[in-house]
This record gives sequence, C-alpha cells and structure tokens, in this order.
Amino acid sequence: MRALDRRAVLKGLAGTALALPVLEAMGSDVVAQRPKRFCALYTANGMALPKPEHGIDEWSFFPTAEKDGRFVLGKSTEPLAPYRDQISFLGGLFHENGTKADPHLCSDMWLTGAPLHNPKPGSYNSVALDQVVALHTKQHCRQPSLVLSIDAGVGFLSRTGTISYDLQGRPIPAENNPRRVFDRLFRVDVSGLKAERDRIRSRMKLVDAVLESANDFNKTLGQSDRERMDQYLASLSEIESRLIAAEKWIDVPLKKQDYSHLNLDATNEGEPAEYYRNMFDLIALAFDADITRSVAFMLNREDGMGISDTFPLKLGLERTHHNLSHAGDKDGQLQFAKYDRFLMEQTAHFLKRLTEYRDHDGTLLDNSIVLFGSGASTTHWPKNLPTLIAGGANMGLKHGTYWRKEDTRMSNMFLSVLRSMEIEVDGFSDSSGTTANSIFTKA
Amino acid sequence: MDVSLKRVVRQRSYSQRLNLNRDRHFLTYKCTWLFVVLTSLSILFTKNAIADETIARQFKEGIGPFLAQYCTECHNADNREAGIRLDHLNESYDDSSLKLWEAIENLVQHEEMPPREAEQPAGELREKFLADLKRALNWARSREVPRNGNMRRLTVSQYAHTLHELLEIDEEVSSILPPDGISKDGFSNNSQTLQLSPLQLEAYWQIAERALDLVYVDEKEIPTIQTFQMEFGKGINAEPYRGELVLGAFNQLLPNGDFRVTELAPEKSFEFRPFVMQKKFRFIEGYQGNDTVREWRDFDSIYHAVFACMRGSEGYPKGKAWESVSGGLLLRPAIPSSEIFGESSTYGPYANFKIALRELPDRGNFRVRVWGAKYDDGLLLDSDDKTISADASGRMEVLLNEEAPIQSIEIQEDGVYQVDLATPQMLAAEAAGVKGQTFTAVDVEVQLGDRKFGKSHAQLPFMLVRLEKGAIDVGIANKVSGGKCRLVLAKLQKGDAQIDRFERFEKRNPAIGVYVGLRRDCGSTLNPVGLPQMVAGTELQEFVFEGAINNFPRPEVELDNVNYLAGIREIGVRCEYTDGRDMPRLLIRKIEFEGPYLEQWPPKNYVDLLQKDSDSSSEREHAEKILRNFATKAYRRPVTEAELLRLMKVWDDSSVDTTSWERGRAGLLVVLTSPQFLFLVENSHSPAAEPLDDWELASKLSYFLWDGPPNRWLTDLAKEGKLRSQLETVVEKMLADPRYRMGAESFVAQWLSLDKFDVVTTDAKKFPKLTRTVKSELRKEPIEFWLAKVRGNAKLNELFSSKEVIVNDVLAAYYGLADKVETGLQFTPVVHQRDELGGLLSFAAVHAGLSDGREPNPVKRGAWLARKIIAEPPGDPPPNVPALEDLTQLTLRQRLEKHRDVVGCSKCHQGIDPWGLPFEEFDAGGLYRSEKVDSTTVLAGGKQIEGFLAFRQYLLSEKQEQLAFSVAKHLSIYANGRSLSYKDELDLKQRLSGLKEHGYRLQDVVKCVINSDAFLLK
Repeated sequence: MRALDRRAVLKGLAGTALALPVLEAMGSDVVAQRPKRFCALYTANGMALPKPEHGIDEWSFFPTAEKDGRFVLGKSTEPLAPYRDQISFLGGLFHENGTKADPHLCSDMWLTGAPLHNPKPGSYNSVALDQVVALHTKQHCRQPSLVLSIDAGVGFLSRTGTISYDLQGRPIPAENNPRRVFDRLFRVDVSGLKAERDRIRSRMKLVDAVLESANDFNKTLGQSDRERMDQYLASLSEIESRLIAAEKWIDVPLKKQDYSHLNLDATNEGEPAEYYRNMFDLIALAFDADITRSVAFMLNREDGMGISDTFPLKLGLERTHHNLSHAGDKDGQLQFAKYDRFLMEQTAHFLKRLTEYRDHDGTLLDNSIVLFGSGASTTHWPKNLPTLIAGGANMGLKHGTYWRKEDTRMSNMFLSVLRSMEIEVDGFSDSSGTTANSIFTKA
Repeated sequence: MDVSLKRVVRQRSYSQRLNLNRDRHFLTYKCTWLFVVLTSLSILFTKNAIADETIARQFKEGIGPFLAQYCTECHNADNREAGIRLDHLNESYDDSSLKLWEAIENLVQHEEMPPREAEQPAGELREKFLADLKRALNWARSREVPRNGNMRRLTVSQYAHTLHELLEIDEEVSSILPPDGISKDGFSNNSQTLQLSPLQLEAYWQIAERALDLVYVDEKEIPTIQTFQMEFGKGINAEPYRGELVLGAFNQLLPNGDFRVTELAPEKSFEFRPFVMQKKFRFIEGYQGNDTVREWRDFDSIYHAVFACMRGSEGYPKGKAWESVSGGLLLRPAIPSSEIFGESSTYGPYANFKIALRELPDRGNFRVRVWGAKYDDGLLLDSDDKTISADASGRMEVLLNEEAPIQSIEIQEDGVYQVDLATPQMLAAEAAGVKGQTFTAVDVEVQLGDRKFGKSHAQLPFMLVRLEKGAIDVGIANKVSGGKCRLVLAKLQKGDAQIDRFERFEKRNPAIGVYVGLRRDCGSTLNPVGLPQMVAGTELQEFVFEGAINNFPRPEVELDNVNYLAGIREIGVRCEYTDGRDMPRLLIRKIEFEGPYLEQWPPKNYVDLLQKDSDSSSEREHAEKILRNFATKAYRRPVTEAELLRLMKVWDDSSVDTTSWERGRAGLLVVLTSPQFLFLVENSHSPAAEPLDDWELASKLSYFLWDGPPNRWLTDLAKEGKLRSQLETVVEKMLADPRYRMGAESFVAQWLSLDKFDVVTTDAKKFPKLTRTVKSELRKEPIEFWLAKVRGNAKLNELFSSKEVIVNDVLAAYYGLADKVETGLQFTPVVHQRDELGGLLSFAAVHAGLSDGREPNPVKRGAWLARKIIAEPPGDPPPNVPALEDLTQLTLRQRLEKHRDVVGCSKCHQGIDPWGLPFEEFDAGGLYRSEKVDSTTVLAGGKQIEGFLAFRQYLLSEKQEQLAFSVAKHLSIYANGRSLSYKDELDLKQRLSGLKEHGYRLQDVVKCVINSDAFLLK
C-alpha cells in the first residue's frame, strides 16, 4: 500500500514521473542513502532438471528436497551453501511471449520480455531490465551501466550475444575482455577526461544560450500561457544541473581499491574458471567504487554459438554445452548438471566477493540484487525458467526460500525488482502486476 | 524515502531562477504594456463589477440557502444521490459548472426536484429561485473569458513533420520522443496535456544534433555510391556459382543459375566512387541445416555477399508460389502467415522473395527500382470446375510422352481456352473404366509457347488461358514419372460464364511491395518502402521505391562478427496479397539498388541550409544569413533582430579554433531547442480578445489541416497580409492538398478513438478473418471515408448514412462485397446496396475496437456515441464504484439492466447504455450479425427504438443538430488545441445554425470552425 501512495503523490505533483534532480542527489543527504544496485547474469541452454526415471534428482537446479521446512541445495547448487540465507530460488516463471516465439530467441528476450514472434513494425527488441535500472541510477554513478558477455559485440537477432537492450530496443554491444573492461572502468584516461569536459562545457554553453534566448522570448510574451513556458524553463535548468553534475564526476577521484587479485591477461580463450573469476571480480570492484549500479553479464550463448559452447569439453566433459542441453540419456543429463555445478562455483565466487566489500549498512550484496537465470528451463522449454536471486536484503528481499508459482510472468518479477529498488514505473514489458508475497517484501 | 520532500526542494531550486526571470519580465511588462492592460482590464471589468455584486448577493441570499434547504441533504460530498453533488456550487458560476446549473434549472422548473416525497418549496420561492438563477446563468454565459493567447508544444507527429520539412530529411529522427498524453476530449494536441519534461528536452537536443549531422556533408569529399542489380530468368546465369550457400531453416535459395548479380556504376552529373562489396569472408560459425557448425571457413564470391532467396512456410494453396521462367521470376501473392497457418507461424508470408545481403549504406536515402510486369497468366481451375466435354467444338487433344513432352499444335482462332490435363494415373483409370477415383497430386509445369504454369495437379481441369491464332508449342516442361499425359484444349464458346470469369481475372493487377529489414530466424523484421505499386500492363515497366536507409531495421552487429548469418540484411520484393482471389502473377525481371541516392552533390538540403547560393563578404556575414533564414523558417515567422543578435552571439562566443560548421551548428542547435520552434505561440497582449496575426494564423491553419508547418505558399500569403481576406479559398485549397491526408489521419483517428482498435486483441479463433492485414486496412477506412466526404463537400447526413463505402479488395472481402471491387489495395467508392453499411456508425474498426475482442460491449459503444457522435459526454464514473454482485448467469443485457438499477450507477448509465444497445447488431469483429439479436433500446426520455437502422434514422432526423454540433465541436477542439469554453460552444452553435438549410456541408462546417472566435481570436 505504501508504494502505491507514494506513486500517487509523485503523479499528482508532476503529472508525469520526472527523474529526481541531480544536484540534490550529489548533496550530503543522498550520500547517506543506501545505493541500490542490480546485476543480471544469464546462462544459456537452461539448467539441469533431470528426468525422474534417471534417479538423479539431487542434480536438479531447483531444490528437490526439504529439511526442517527449508530447501536443501542440490549437488549442482551446493557451491552456494555459504550464502544459503542470502539466496532464493524462484520457480514457475516464464515469458508469455517466449511460448509463442522460436525457442532459440529465448536469450534475446530474457531480460526484455519482448514479443519477438510478432515484433512491433520496425522494432528490434524492447528495453531490457538492466537499462531501466540504469536510467534511474545513472545520476548516482559514473557510468550508466556495464554490459558484459562471453563474446564481444551483440551476436545477432535470434542468437544474441548481449542480453542488454537500450530504451529503443537496440542491442548494446557487450565487452568480454577483462583488460579492456578494466581500462574502461578504472584507468583514468586524461585526454579522455579533457574531451569529456570539453564536450560537457560546450553543451553547457549552448544550454545557457538557449536559456538566455528563451528568457528574452519570455519577455516578449504577453499573457500567453505562463505555465507552459515555466515548464520549459524548468526542464532546461534541470538539464543544466545534470550537466553540472556530470562535470563534477570528472573531478571526483576514483576510490582507492586493491586490484592485486586481478589477472588481466585472462581471456575467454583460456581457462574458463579463471576467465569468469576475473570478470566477476571486475563487477564487484565496479560496484564497490560506485562506477556503475547496473550490470548485465551473459555467461554463455544459446544454440552452440560462441566459444562458451566448448567450455564443458575444456573441463573434461564429453560434449559441448548445447549438445549436453539436448541430452536425454542419464549420462548426458548428469554431465549437463556437472557443468551447472561449474557455473554455480563461479557464481558463488561472485557472491563471496560481494560479501567481502563493506557498503552502507552492510555488504555490497545487501545493496545489490543479483539475478541469475536462463531463458529455457530444459531444452527449448520456455516455462519454469531457472531463476535464482541473491542479495538485496536492504531493499526488502527476504531470502532462504524456494518460491514457486506456476506460470508467473517473468515481467511481474522484473517489476518487483524495479519497485524494490524504488524505481517507480507503471510496468515493465508485459507485466500485469508484481510478484507480491514472494521474496520481495517491498514490492 | 521521503520523495515528496525532495520534490519540494526541487521546486525551489528552479523557482528561484524563475522568480528572477519574472521580476525582469515584470519591469519590461510594465513599461510596454501597462497602459494597454490597464485600459482593457478596466473596460472589461468595471462594466461587470456591479453585475458581479448583484449576482453574488443573490446567491448568498437566495440561491445558496435554497440549495442548502432542498438539495444538498441528498447531493453532497458524502452522499451523492445519483452521482451528483451540489454542495460545492458557489456564486462564481464557473464555466465547468454551467451544465449542472442548467440541469438544476430544468428539474426545478419541471418540479421533478426536489422529489415528490421530499419537502417542497413554496410556489413563489420556486419562482424566485428560477428567476435569480436565470439571471445568473445569463450573466455567466455572456461573461467575457479572458483571452491570454496560447502556447502549445508541437505534438510528436507535428514535430516530426516540421523537422522533415525544415531540413528536408526523410530519416525518422524523432522516434525517441515519448508519446503525447491524451486529453479528456480524446486529443493529443491539447495544450494542457502536452507536458514537457527534462527527459523530453534532452531528447530534443539529441534529435537536433542528429538531424543537423544528417544534413551536413564534407562537400570536398567524393561520395561513394553502392549500386547493384539482380536479374532473373531461367538459366540467365551462364556461369552460376558452384558452391553451396547457407541460409538456415525456412529459406529456399533460388537455383544459382536463375539469377545474376552485377555491381554497377550509375550515371551521375558529379564525381563519385562506386562502392565495391566485400567478397572475401572468414567465418567460424555457420550452419548445416539447423545445426551450428563451428570451424573457420573461407568464402570468396559475390554470391556469399548477395543471395536470392524465398522465405516462408511450405504449401502454397493454389499453384506454385514462385517459378523461374525465361523472362524472369514469377511471384504469387505473399500470403501473410496467419491467413492460413494460424497464430503460431512466425516465419512470414509465402512466397516472400528477398535479396539477402551483407552490406548496405549507413546513411542517406536509397532507391530500389524494380522492372516488373503483369504476367500473361492462366487462371488455374478448381476441383469443382467442369472438364471439357468430349464433344466440345474445336476440341484438341495432345498425347505427350517422355520422347515428345512438347508438341506443336495449330490454334484456329484467338480466344479464351480451357486446358485440361490428364496425368498418367488419370489415363490409367480412364482406360480401366474406373470412375470417381481420387488422384495423387502431381507437380506439373504446363508450357504454352514460352509461358509456364506450375501446379500441384490432381484433377482434369487445369486452367483457363488466352491463346492467339497460330502455331504454338504445348506440353509439359518438367519430368512427370509414369509415362504419358494428355493435354486437351478447347475454346470457350460465347456465353460461357467461364469467359466472364477469365476476363475479370486478366483485368486484375498485381501490386509490387518493396521492403527492407534484416534476416532473423523468427518473425519478420521488414518495413515497407513506401506504398505498394500497381502493375497494370504485361509490358515491363520500371517501379521506383525510395526511403531513408536508417528508417529500416538493421542487424546491429559489429563489423568483425564471425557468424555466417549475422549481419545479413534483406530487401524484400513481394506480390501483395489482398483477399486471395485469383490474380495474374507478378513477373520480376530485374531489381536494382542504389544508395545513398543522390541527385546532386552537395545535396540540395545542404545547399539550402548553408545558403550556398548566396554571396557574402565575410564568414560572419554568411553565418548571419544562414541563421536568419533558418530561424525564420523554424519559428514560422520572421526572426526578430533581437533573436538574431542572440544567435550571432553564439557564433561569436564559440571558439574560433573550431570549424565554421561547428560554430554555425551551435546557433542552429539553439534554434531547434528554443521554445519559439518547439511551441506554437499565439502571443496575446491583453486579456481582451485580439485577432491572430497572419503568421500565427498560417501556423494554426497548417497544423490543424496538415499536421505540419505552413509551406511557402502559406507563409507568402501571410507575408503579403492576404491570408485573412482569402481565408475561404485558402481553406479549400488546403483541404484539396495531399497534405490534408496527414491532418485527417490525425483528427479522425483521435476523434473516433481508433486507438481502441489498435490495442484490442481479437479472439483469432472466433474471428479468423480479422487478420493482421485486414486489421491494418480496416484501420484506414474511417480516414479514407472522411477524406472522400470532406473533399466531396458532402452533406452531414452522408457522413452517417451513405450509399457508398470507401473500400479496397481486402475490406470488400471482409464486408462481403468482394464481387463489387477490383482495385487491389487501392481504396475506391463502392455502392454497397446494403442497409447497415455506409457511414461512420458502421465501421468495423470502430465496433471491433469497442468490444473486448470476443463480445461487443454496448457500454463502450454507448459512451462512444454519447461522447463522440452526439456530444453528450456522460460524467466520469464516481470514485469507489461498488462491485456488482456475481451475475454471470445473466445475459449481458440483463447485467446492464441490473447495473442501471444500482443507485449511483443509474444516472450515468441511463445516459450511456441506451446509446450502445442498437449496436448489438455488430459483432466484436465489427461485422453486422446475421443472426437476430435483441437490439431494442429505450432512450432516457422513454422513446423506444427497434434496432440499428431505426436508431440511425432517429439520429439523422431527430438529432441532426447535435450530430452537426458534435462534428464541429471536435474539429474545433482539435483545431484550437484546447477544450472549448461554454461561450465557445455557444458561439459555434450559433454559427452552425446558418448551415442547416444547406444540410451542413462538411467543408462549410470546417470553415465555420475556422471562422469562429475560438479559432481566429487569441
């Protein structure tokens, strides 16, 4: 109820929801405020849900056993044991549009929910959750978002190489090289800073010129509708304050951090674990230094695309990732689950890092919602999408449960994520509400 | 988090600045306008001061206490009997309260209120109340509303059209703007709902930068132009590519020998570099069937850069979807997938020809030229057609076998012939004397001369075809296993109905549609390039399609993508589908692409923007010329010297280190983000009404009628001060201008709430005929109809009940009028000879939109009629509408009746539901129902009307003035970009009354709206 009232107030005041002003956001009152961060991790080809007849239920991604009313982690999710109380499994989620589209499109739409089977004429995809978050958190940090993937670039529509889409639904190219990511995030590029400052200053000059010209114009106006002009001038000065804020960031020195654990020579051609570890370390560092508050990372790709398909082979398993996902035999399904375990080990490492850094009122993990999931549950099945959420205790997330409700819209859960982050939007994609009464207590 | 607190802080942060401005503003204001303002204020308000006092006193002493004693006990904030409260009425008699006051007057006068069981006022008290109220209402109605000008932001579409005209760019750069809000009257151009947010203003900046960058070129640079052609024909490529191309599932590649790709260099009057497409590639990811293959492979051929392929699911219902013949590629209409394969099919239409290619230009316009013709085709026969009788006169029989599959015969005379074909299986059955056998379909290609007709054949009758006298080779062009076939030909005799059928067939014209987009596995991402073009003759003709390349979806991949299929773009060329009627095929001989398409170098918009044709002594002087010219166009009036000074200051202030374009660009950006450009301004100097100046009038007219800026002709008239004196003819010319389509589209769609149709999800099982294609054509019908009636200056009644519908083949088929129309996708007037059709009470788009997708909704339809058609808008539903008890076992009609019985609902629903019930005769697909339904209605006054036709007649005869007023009112709200005041409405009604005797001709109504005070005064 409280959230509803708050929205009503916002709407009543402005008619349309406006972003909060930046200058205040830079002020001391906000420094005391807890940051809210979001990280989406995508894994392709689904997660193991072995056939019952094979008798290897303990290798299922979703918990299959309970003890004292609490779920028991399976063999593939065991690495998450230390964070047992900071994670939850969510069952029964799906994208309704996913059931209508070619199943290979599931990674394209995982974070967007777009109707790719019947796209809006001229559109490519629709906005992804991480970019909605970025839109509302960018004024608090240096970069709106960080988009990572196992393969650089965007792949192509139907077999995407990125899970992030901008406000117009265009794919945002992902970066995959730890050194390049590090350089972009942490190396202070002096000439780049100067160029950025020049760009901001010349824009500010123009905004000033428009303001002056508008003020002149305002004087020539008689009794014409003042309200309209006031709104225009207010918008203009808001833009000006955003530019001032952007310029301020240039002067704010980077937080001092320890980078000694990084191995920036790691690449996706080398040891998979080493590669993932470094990518996750970089995300944790970026959160810690408040470089960005929105991250999307595609861990591997659908349908045998890209280098990640060969990772199981590198790890001593016998088939490629996509092949394993199609396996119906016991051995194949077991191997698939073992690869899940590898992925969970990497995720556990990430959670470990997030709990090691202190943050306002807790750890980084307490102030970050980490969403891990896939666009298919088992081979091309677009329902009951494997979903795991970690962190966000300070945003009202209550963990340690296996929540399940058949045919729940993924977009409703996404809306819950946004509302938990106090991002007041009316809906997301095809949402029909939130997933209230789940692990989200504030949304 | 305390958001409201933040908001207050925020308000202060900019209000400080605003106060500052306001102080400055006031100083100037005083000096310049003080006198004017004071005089006009005093004229306006001293005259009324005495009256005001009387009215206020009478309210305090008479009307107020009367209400308190007799009315507000039941009608107050907490207890809204019949949804009405009266306790908030006061002596101001606001415009917004006048309707309520009138209702009170009416009910008290007729002694319907207070209700009989309640305490009654004495006769003289009632009289006194009514007399006071009458005086007060007359005072209120005649009250001058202060006119303080108007300022409204351009709507998204107005802005887009304006930018397009101003910079001569076709690229849709404004798509990033958020959509405009909709006003209570249903319009998006209302100055009150057109908000402006920082986000939006940032978007304006972004758009302005992008738009200017699109115009600017380095004129010393030699432009690069990509041109290539693809030619078609059986065996046209003497040295076809030997290797295999990979295109994934649901793609059929044209045989490599049947097309040829050549890169060309067009003829141009300026120097350019021909673009050479990349032909060597290295990919690590590819496909084998539906499997991904991961290994590095090298490719080297233009045929790995440009492919000719067909897309779509298998199984064309009649004939072969496509065929290569000696003269080119034959295409049958591309059937949208849902037409035959149901919702789940997402692989696009069949047959859908595409050129798939890896490279297209990244900026500018492009041109696709298609050389095509209508094929001299045969009409394939159906299973219920008769075979040629054995004794048909002039019957010719040809036995074909593998040695002689083609034989020469002599045609005796010109005419329409039937061709029958017996397959080996049919011949065998005939020999054995078996009757009534079902035959296996055999793929056959019948050849007549150099024409070919492919079909999956399972019956004797093959086709009707026109043949000329003389020798001709006939036979079967493909291999048919099982030995011999028999071909029988016979000329159809005069009077045979099949001749008529064939002649109708051969007169039909296919239409070419060109599309550009990207390759994908699922769904179709192709946007049409302009409108489809009709192909009328059997001679090859050139058809030109143009667009801006960035308006079309592109693959958005990085250059070094290692996947064979990533980054593939597509140019689709289709024979357009209408309703599935038999139609001669489209023959495509050649397709040529050229882009960027440049007519001159540097481009015209660059020359215009940078005033290249003018002489200037200095760079600064030239900059001033550019800015003066641009700002004058952008502001839609001459830029003032003070404004120009500001703009030149931007030039002077920018660093001399930058290029002169950078310096000038800064000034242009300021223009494009200034309020003078973004807003339509009617600048009033006093609260008294003043006439619009000529520039304001030109803009007001053009944004009303063209949804865009005034053109040169209009601004010239404004400059010469002739606009007002020629207003009548100006309006007539504007309505006749092609641009009026844009104005009509915007107005009609908003007036008739067509957005409801855009969003309704129709039950595909219940309404299988309401496909995506049909929906998009139905959506156009109200606009086409309105345009035809306005341009024809029809009488008002014809708008609501017309002998004609304006339809094309698609709509005709949907309405069951298919046999009356033969114009393909072109809209044309048709005399429908059906009682229920014709006029805007019968549009399927309206009725389907006002349903839930399964069942019609009389409440929605009733509210629509009340609001839009007779301008009696019902009140808003009261807050906290009580939920109805579960009434699911009742019919909708009974449920409505129950609903009407609930206290608090009844009052409004009496004004809604009766208007909707006659429309029960139209189903949720918008069609007239064949089965009898209960569509009787009892209007609020007790009048009973039996069904839709009687209801329409009732509206035309009893409510004609209201219909006319509603049309005029909505036009006026749209034209003025604001809701009408009580006085505006009164003025409009008075003006309209003069049009009655001529039947309210529609152009007269438009002119009446334009001549009203609401429009011409500010």
